[in-house]
Amino acid sequence: MLAENIDLDRALVYMGSRGRDASALMPLVSECAEILAQTAVPRYYYRLLPLCRSDAGIELSGTGLVLTGSSIAEHLEGCDRCIILAATLSEAADKLIRSYEAYDMAKAFVTDCIASSAIEDVCDEAEAEIRSRLPDKFFTWRYSPGYGDLPLSLQGKFLSVLEAPKRIGLNVTESCMLVPAKSVTAVIGVSDGPIERSKRGCLGCVAYENCSFRKGGYHCGS
Amino acid sequence: MDLKTLLETKQFVFLDGAMGTMLIEKGLKMGEVPELLNLDKPEWTVDIHRQYIEAGSDIVYANTFGANRYKLEKTGKSVAEIVAAAIACAKKAAEGYDALVALDVGPIGQLLEPAGTLSFEEAYDIFKEIVVAGTDADLIVFETMTDLHELKAAVLAAKENSDKPVITTMTFEQNMRTFTGCSVSAMAHTISGLGADAVGINCSLGPKELMPAVEELARHTSLPIVLKPNAGLPDTITGAYNITPKEFADLMTELIPLGVKLVGGCCGTSPAFIANLRRAFTGKKYQKPDYTPVSVCCTPARTVIIDQPRVIGERINPTGKKRFKEALKSNDIDYILSQAIEQTHAGADILDVNVGLPGIDERDMMIRVVKALQGVCDLPLQLDSTDPTVLDAGLRIYNGKAIVNSVNGEEKSLSTVLPLVKKYGAAVVGLCLDENGIPKTAAERFAIAERIVARAEALGIGRENVFIDCLTLTASAEQEGVMQTLDALERVRRELGCQTVLGVSNISFGLPAREIVNSNFLTMALTKGLTLPIINPNIDAMMQSVRSYKLLANIDKGSVDFIAHYGAETPKQPKPAEQADIDLPYAIANGLKGEGARITEQLLANNEPMKIINEMLIPALDKTGADFEAGRIFLPQLIQSAGVAQGCFEVIKKFLSENGGSSESKGKIVLATVKGDVHDIGKNIVKVLLENYGYEVIDLGKDVDCQLVVDTAKSQNVRLVGLSALMTTTLPSMEKTIRLLREQYPGCKVMVGGAVLTPEYAEEIGADFYARDAKESCDIAKQVLG
Repeated sequence: MLAENIDLDRALVYMGSRGRDASALMPLVSECAEILAQTAVPRYYYRLLPLCRSDAGIELSGTGLVLTGSSIAEHLEGCDRCIILAATLSEAADKLIRSYEAYDMAKAFVTDCIASSAIEDVCDEAEAEIRSRLPDKFFTWRYSPGYGDLPLSLQGKFLSVLEAPKRIGLNVTESCMLVPAKSVTAVIGVSDGPIERSKRGCLGCVAYENCSFRKGGYHCGS
Repeated sequence: MDLKTLLETKQFVFLDGAMGTMLIEKGLKMGEVPELLNLDKPEWTVDIHRQYIEAGSDIVYANTFGANRYKLEKTGKSVAEIVAAAIACAKKAAEGYDALVALDVGPIGQLLEPAGTLSFEEAYDIFKEIVVAGTDADLIVFETMTDLHELKAAVLAAKENSDKPVITTMTFEQNMRTFTGCSVSAMAHTISGLGADAVGINCSLGPKELMPAVEELARHTSLPIVLKPNAGLPDTITGAYNITPKEFADLMTELIPLGVKLVGGCCGTSPAFIANLRRAFTGKKYQKPDYTPVSVCCTPARTVIIDQPRVIGERINPTGKKRFKEALKSNDIDYILSQAIEQTHAGADILDVNVGLPGIDERDMMIRVVKALQGVCDLPLQLDSTDPTVLDAGLRIYNGKAIVNSVNGEEKSLSTVLPLVKKYGAAVVGLCLDENGIPKTAAERFAIAERIVARAEALGIGRENVFIDCLTLTASAEQEGVMQTLDALERVRRELGCQTVLGVSNISFGLPAREIVNSNFLTMALTKGLTLPIINPNIDAMMQSVRSYKLLANIDKGSVDFIAHYGAETPKQPKPAEQADIDLPYAIANGLKGEGARITEQLLANNEPMKIINEMLIPALDKTGADFEAGRIFLPQLIQSAGVAQGCFEVIKKFLSENGGSSESKGKIVLATVKGDVHDIGKNIVKVLLENYGYEVIDLGKDVDCQLVVDTAKSQNVRLVGLSALMTTTLPSMEKTIRLLREQYPGCKVMVGGAVLTPEYAEEIGADFYARDAKESCDIAKQVLG
């Protein structure tokens, strides 16, 4: 069951709020949020793995997964372990949106935006659980394949290390899209000591050009 | 020794435990391909099998779980090579023992359409390759499946390309559904129908957590039940499982009363688990569950048990419907979907699907409509055609257990339709007519029903799967025949024990006040034992008859369903007080769909259709478009307005087709989400808006082949193509599509859009226009097409 309190403000930003008056839209948004909460079966799965640095990149020990690129190296600076996390709202959420698309595109779009917000809430929930299971540790924020120069093509290996298809029903297509669509994979660095927070400004983000949050004067929160 | 002998001679059949867990202990890295070890470290695989056999496994699963074309792609090894090596390892381990070797087949790792991009036919081919490679195995196991459609492709591939026994298990969560939403009952009925030898559950949870799912399975199958749970639940930080071999075995013995017959372990289990299991089961007796055959049809998410009247919606049928015929001719699948959704909301339990029309390829249309319907609607389908090749194609692609409409008492029909029903494990409607037409008397119709049931049973189709239609004749023409129909129906129900079907609406042809006749005839038939009325559920009077019958016959206990439908004191959506105040622009601006259609109907009495479109609809839409651009309303509100306009266009289209005219299109536009991309909500929003601005959209869907876009644009003389892509990884497909268009169809304009696109990038890949949002797509269309 999805948390009662999906962040609807964030969902409105995805809908392109940018100063629009949402009051006339809210009944539809609430209705869609309620149905999504009843329909989606959110799941997540994660593993804690030691890191091993080499010329090729950062290997997650005991797996064949090597995180490549400079941005992830920077992100995991000072961490000796990391959590790899996969989360999904389930095929049921995709199917709900798909069936709306057949007869009510407004509901489809609204539900799609709420789902995009809800999957972040699910990740937050997973992260809270991780933090409580590893007290006294310090964590980086969530970093996903496709951010910076961490390649999207890692998705397949990422999911197979987590056995995500079997654990939570999360798969990836040949073009590296996650299926179900409303899903997230992320790396969270873990350290015994405080982590110096790298600069978090929007300028370093690959989504800078098109980000609807930034255009709306918001941050994505990660 | 073979599986059949094992099942007959042993109280329980012991399977093996985990392969992956054991291989990781030997040094396999997580995330790597375990099947390669059959070639690289065959001694590891042999040793693991040997340990299981010595621990007491009657059957070991060869290390072939992921040995499919897709997963082996990057390894440079062929399926044949890996499968042969794996089975050789298992056979070597079994030398000198009585153990059988199973070809073990897991999910492909790519999701089937509509969630993913893999077609049913491709899935079938992938499984066929494995089955053919596995000829040396003693049996075939499909396990850890989560998608019933994928499992059906697998079982068909096994049945059509080998004669080995087949065992299937799916993976269920605590909510008793698989990840894709398949229920235990849907699995049981579909898989039993396809002729598997045993069915069950593996992975995901421990024995204790799987107990309710096993209980549910026992209620829905007569096949031997398989259970291979995990060693409890894993710790997410460490990956370790939480129960010991002894605890596992003890918990498994608690499942004996539920009817388990084949037992083993999945993730986290080891030879010690199997040894404990064997010990704990010693001296125990197999307890076969009591299973009474029931009449059922299903989709993965919806099982309809016919233990009370269930409504079959009749609206997906072109007979006598101009608009529907037009939709079939113009491939307007969306219209057909809208008919399904409307009937679903009205309360139908099952949908009849008839897409036969002279001049169209009915077989191809049946496949496309079944796929499309099952992508958005959970109701089971009744496939309706007189052409066995159409039925064959529909049954093959259908996900779940379908109903076939129909077979009749003619020899030709019996000998062509019933084998299909048997092969695909469907139910079938049997019409009480034969070479001599429809008999006049109840006794003669009953005799045909008896004959159909006997023929079905001779083929192994139980009578619970034969639904008899005693045929409704028109009361105005053959008044004396009405009671003959009902008498025959009553006898079929009482004496043959079969479910009964009737197309109710036929009764009133040629009479006034048809609804009154139909709904009263329906009630009469229900009291005689009609269980499957085929009706139009959108007509309130018909559903009222069904719901009041269920209340009065003590089926709707406590009148719960009746009150839920009719108990509300005020209508759910109060109409605006002053209807007269509402005009078309107001209805469009406020998303009032019903009002928009009603006002359009009124306007058509005194206005030219094109005048309504050009002077009222388009300006009203333009205003909401401007409001959206100015930041006064949200995109969903713009879409809602467009939806109202679409309803108005529908009314006008219907008016024109009834009055011999045709609606004028402002031009054709091809839309596609590019190859590799499966997210098409953005493209679909664009489509809705374009259609409401009067453009004819040829929607090629998602994951569209680059060349198909070019061919369609060319053959349809299209001047504007819209392409959508969501991912950086699919942008190359967009670029390629544009390049092909330029080479083969110069002069056609291209607009592009999608999350990762920028105006600069659009220019770089050669697009003519970048559309920031759906509204801008309409502006571009106006610029190009007028």
